Amino acid sequence: MDASTHGSPAASMKYVVEAIQPLDGYVVPIKSIQEVNPPEGYDDAYVAEVDIKSASRVIKALDASFPRDASALPLNHLRRFCKRENLPEPVRQYVDTTYPQKTSMAPSIFVLLGISLPDMEGVRALLEPFIPVPRPRSRASQEPQETASTPSTPEQSPELLIFRTKIPIYPPSSTEVANLWSQSLWPVTFNPAASRSTVAPNPQTLNRDQKSIEPRAGYYVSLAREVALEAKQSGRGRGVGAVIVDPRIEAQIDEKAWEEGYDSRERWPQAVVAVAGDCRFARAEAGGPSQSDRHDNVGPNPACETYNSDYEGGPDLHALMRAVELVARSRREAPENETDHAAMACQPVVHTDPQLSKPHQLSALERYFLYDVGSHVIDDESTSYRPSPDTSCQVSPRKRKFAAPNPEAAAESLDALAETELPPSTSLPAPPPPPLASLPPPPQEANGESEGRLPTSRIRSRAEGGYLCTSLDVYLSHEPCICCCMGLLLSRFRAVIYPRAGRLKSGGLASGPIEAQKAVLANGDANNNTNTNGSQPGEDREYYGLHWRKELNWRALGFEFVEDEADENFPPEEVAFHA
Amino acid sequence: MEQEAKPSTIREDSRHGYFMKQALAMGEKALATGETPVGCVLVYNDKIVGSGMNDTNRSMNGTRHAEFLAIAEMLQTYPKSAIRETDLYVTVEPCIMCSAALRQYGIRSVFVGTHNVRFGGVGGVLTIHSDKSIDPPYPVYVGLYRKEAITLLRQFYIQENEKAPNPRPKKNRALNTTFDFENEDEADDFMPII
Repeated sequence: MDASTHGSPAASMKYVVEAIQPLDGYVVPIKSIQEVNPPEGYDDAYVAEVDIKSASRVIKALDASFPRDASALPLNHLRRFCKRENLPEPVRQYVDTTYPQKTSMAPSIFVLLGISLPDMEGVRALLEPFIPVPRPRSRASQEPQETASTPSTPEQSPELLIFRTKIPIYPPSSTEVANLWSQSLWPVTFNPAASRSTVAPNPQTLNRDQKSIEPRAGYYVSLAREVALEAKQSGRGRGVGAVIVDPRIEAQIDEKAWEEGYDSRERWPQAVVAVAGDCRFARAEAGGPSQSDRHDNVGPNPACETYNSDYEGGPDLHALMRAVELVARSRREAPENETDHAAMACQPVVHTDPQLSKPHQLSALERYFLYDVGSHVIDDESTSYRPSPDTSCQVSPRKRKFAAPNPEAAAESLDALAETELPPSTSLPAPPPPPLASLPPPPQEANGESEGRLPTSRIRSRAEGGYLCTSLDVYLSHEPCICCCMGLLLSRFRAVIYPRAGRLKSGGLASGPIEAQKAVLANGDANNNTNTNGSQPGEDREYYGLHWRKELNWRALGFEFVEDEADENFPPEEVAFHA
Repeated sequence: MEQEAKPSTIREDSRHGYFMKQALAMGEKALATGETPVGCVLVYNDKIVGSGMNDTNRSMNGTRHAEFLAIAEMLQTYPKSAIRETDLYVTVEPCIMCSAALRQYGIRSVFVGTHNVRFGGVGGVLTIHSDKSIDPPYPVYVGLYRKEAITLLRQFYIQENEKAPNPRPKKNRALNTTFDFENEDEADDFMPII
């Protein structure tokens, strides 16, 4: 291949990519399994009425005489006090009918004593001094009707009002659940900062990353679908695509666009470090022809129309696994790794994906994002993209720590990239990028032909701090299968995003039926809503929520992209398969 | 897990024991090359048709677990449909990724050395082998050469990780050679496959 034949597919891919329209919609965090099915449990707890003025003394006395059992469930989510008028409606009705309020009494408040009271008599004795007493005569006399209604009670000693009521023993999973319980059981508080990071992502982190993902999610999901379409049309795989994006390049693009006053959208492709399509039909087993070889390779493979596991090739040919392997391969072939690699030559790395062993077997879009985006779309200087970890350390770690919520990521993207990649603005011609005619010749064609050196890759090498897919995001056309879900956790992605329309019953990310996510909040009884299998089409499935499981060591943020309008080009899949 | 057989039901001197020994040998090889010592073999018609060891460090790909390498090797010579008649012997319980892959590949049955309570997909954490799925379930047998599998892992984790940002000195660590399978905390004694 000479430069011109290389240039034309890249140029045509450039037009394909430029034509991609962002989908309109928004992203929704995928709840964790524990959030959808929170542990629920109720018990009866004792409540007593005391004089409102004695509230703090009551707590001191109770805590001194009945210290909390350290082994018991913490009940910090329950409010200790509640005024009569603020009692949840059912409790208030009970109290009002059983113990009608006496207007002659000093204002009172209800105190939650606990689930078990080992010494009931002791508690009664302890609370005796704090029982609401009749108002002092001087104040009562100011209210004329009171003298009439309570003529003869003052001599009776007031009795301690104590009763049991149902309380939730686990903290609420959300403000909605907290409100629900507060209105029906007992006032509770939802504390998002409580140490529940294994149950759900830190809300600040989630919020921050969601904000950074949201503006471009429609574009990258659209690109994933373009990759999917290409894979399907090639006959080599099902219509599934994966797009790996580096959020640090996104931030850098935004910053540069803001500084120089242009629309950053035209540069969004530059943040894509790799794309990959499904090629499950392209595996040549036992040296024979693959499913796609048997097909004429024009249009979708007939094997798409049904699910026959013999034709499915295997999860290592799925889009996400291939994209991960493209990143790994780029690292293995980095110059600094060359010596290591020679030493390993006696035991070559097994390419479990046969389609990755030869660069020309990459699809046009895969090639474009690996080889061409860096040199053709980004400014020339950016081909020297080599952020050294050293430059990011010019600011002291301590300073960085307080400079940004995520010190490492922010520091590297703002400091290192700004210094090393961004050329001085004086030497930079104003965007948009130069027309194709003036492009420099494509770089190192020979390298691309041999084992696929990636001369202009934006995939950071090991020496540049790149490690697996740490701090990268992956956008998919479909909900990934269980295998790919765990693969993305093992690859340490920061976040995974797929369109809600791409849910599959074989998927491993969704944590509950779409409708139930709202219904859970409506009646607070998650179990009844999320375990109904088969009630709606497409919901006859397991829900794993693998992105954020408390049982696992690695977790990623998970988002569904919800389109404003269904895309008729991508209807819900009719055949159940593993994406 | 209903399909899990008790360790005592599979004798170590049986043919199963022989194949697990071969899986352990792959684990030894992984240990020698600085990989997490997990090894496996695929057995079709009483013959080893694929073998693998963890290869995540060298490949710089966190998904290159032993099972994937063994399957890739097998598929160079056999069609995918042959996996339906193939058994896997693996020193440590397959992680969730591999458990799911094995089900997609249609493995016939899986013999496991020891459970993995951090990542295990066939009982350790999840039960991918028997959950509702579009593929048939497969049976799992746990406990064959369990001590040997655990010892391999312990040998790996008393090493210092020179690549870690802050290597933890482990000079004083001695290889623990005791086994207390009644104690559930035993599982925490070794680290997960990563």
